[in-house]
Amino acid sequence: MRLRRALDKLGMALFVALAALAVAPLFWLIVDVYVKGAAAIAKLGGLWTFLLCPPPTPFDKEGGVGPMLVGTLYMTALGALAGFAVGFPLGVYIGEMGRERLAQVTRAGVNILVEFPTVAVGLFVYAVMSLAVDDLNRYLSKLPGGWFLGPLEGFNAYAGAAALAIVMIPYVALATASAYASVERPLREAAYGVGGREFNAVFIVLRKVVSRAVLTAALIGTAKAAGETAPLLFTAFGNTYYGPFTGPTGAVSLWIWYAAQSPYEVQILSAYGAAAVLLTIVLVIFILARVWR
Amino acid sequence: MLGFVLAVLVFPYLAAAFALLFLKMRWGLRAFGVFALVAVALLIAMFLAYAYPILEREGLAVFTSAVWDPAREEYGVLPALVGTLVTSAVAISLAFPMAVGVAVTINEVLPPRLRPLFASLVDLTATMPTVLYGLWGIFALGPLLQSAVNAVFGPGAMPSQYSLLTAGVLLAVMVTPYAAAVIREGYAAVPRPVEEAVYSLGATRLETVLVKLRHIRNYVVGGIFLALGRAMGETVAVAMVVGGKLGSLPAGLFDGGITISSLIALQFPNAAAYKYMTAALFAGALALAVLGIAINAAALYLIRRWQ
Repeated sequence: MRLRRALDKLGMALFVALAALAVAPLFWLIVDVYVKGAAAIAKLGGLWTFLLCPPPTPFDKEGGVGPMLVGTLYMTALGALAGFAVGFPLGVYIGEMGRERLAQVTRAGVNILVEFPTVAVGLFVYAVMSLAVDDLNRYLSKLPGGWFLGPLEGFNAYAGAAALAIVMIPYVALATASAYASVERPLREAAYGVGGREFNAVFIVLRKVVSRAVLTAALIGTAKAAGETAPLLFTAFGNTYYGPFTGPTGAVSLWIWYAAQSPYEVQILSAYGAAAVLLTIVLVIFILARVWR
Repeated sequence: MLGFVLAVLVFPYLAAAFALLFLKMRWGLRAFGVFALVAVALLIAMFLAYAYPILEREGLAVFTSAVWDPAREEYGVLPALVGTLVTSAVAISLAFPMAVGVAVTINEVLPPRLRPLFASLVDLTATMPTVLYGLWGIFALGPLLQSAVNAVFGPGAMPSQYSLLTAGVLLAVMVTPYAAAVIREGYAAVPRPVEEAVYSLGATRLETVLVKLRHIRNYVVGGIFLALGRAMGETVAVAMVVGGKLGSLPAGLFDGGITISSLIALQFPNAAAYKYMTAALFAGALALAVLGIAINAAALYLIRRWQ
């Protein structure tokens, strides 16, 4: 009996130790990024310089992530809108009408998409873009272009946003599906009773029940999209100057990927500063999603 | 080609949205489902089309050769396939116990008021940008692992901090929360009578936990396979620490190597300069997609069989 008692204590302690081992890197990472990142931002010219200026070349003393921050915010916003616009109705379909054969096949498709490597999503958008860009420009060149429309180059912010949207779609779809599937039966019947058209029942009445879960999912998906690097490698490509969104566009995550592998001290410093900025963006969205719930 | 892309991607979306908003909701939603399926099919078709040149020239030899010589237009992705399998195996064997530990700790050990906080922390691990893990892997984890391995196996056992082992351990840290979330979901759904029955037999807490884990083994397997899929597809963090040795098979766990996704990330910028390299990289992506789908199917089969 004493042996069993001891074994019990030992086993539970082992589980707790494993859990601590799994969470410890998270704390280590956050502390590491913020401590080194704050020092780096101070050294590279203070917060405003860091947030507004282009990044340092190997011979500079100061610099920041200005252009990349703009690119990240623009592409994440566009990607999140597009991802939600596709993911939400898809999720409603899977959740509301999950019985029929087509919906089950669709669910399998979404499951394939959620497991799809993000770098492959980037390749897909690259392939589509390289097919369509010349034809697209024939129409776009007639419009006044400037920063936003203009003739597109092979790599541009819109390709990046499309890749981020594809990454986000399955998250939103699956979360929406489980939110709609968990609506209780009496509530659903009541909704259909007062809803009139089916559309009103599903989108207006049931919306009140599932909106929180769906918004949380959308925010978490946005946070995920804001930090993605791999799908942007061949779609936005990265840029270190303020440039129009029709050409190669920088992103904070792309700059971290590039600068962390560079041999120059000042660029590694800026990678840590950029990491602190990116982590702040993601944490803010994440906490927003948690508080909302 | 624009017409084709618009016809396949944009118009169906707009038509589905129109039907959903103004005609009949059910048909609009069905159209959305069809749209998603067409998009996924287009994705796979696109990979096949872009990989076709090299598949036509070399057949399946591109997957079984370890040569990578762009000057002679010879490409083989076998080292990358091996690297993907090795790093994900390392990641899963480390992540499995950690994920179970996290699930058990959250549901059994922590006081109920702390549970949501701890669970959010684990979810945050999954949301964290992967490039930050790469940064951490280069400057914190890599040097640590190198000195640890060299202290145990003698100096020189791990010549560089960039190795398959580093990538595997980093992946383990990254994929644990995915597995933990699924296992926890199942753990919380164990029926109360099962738990009470086990306790009434005089079982200790550990024994109860083990019985419960066995009861939810399909969730455990599902979580592990989800994490495995993530580990195989992960790109930038792995590419930053794996070493990038792509011309020959890795000599061991402590040697540098490459995975398919990091091969694509590292080599794609050069690929436009060569005739067949883009095709070879798309062939790699195709192999990765097939592996991923196979894993999904295996997971579904196992879960169905145990239900």
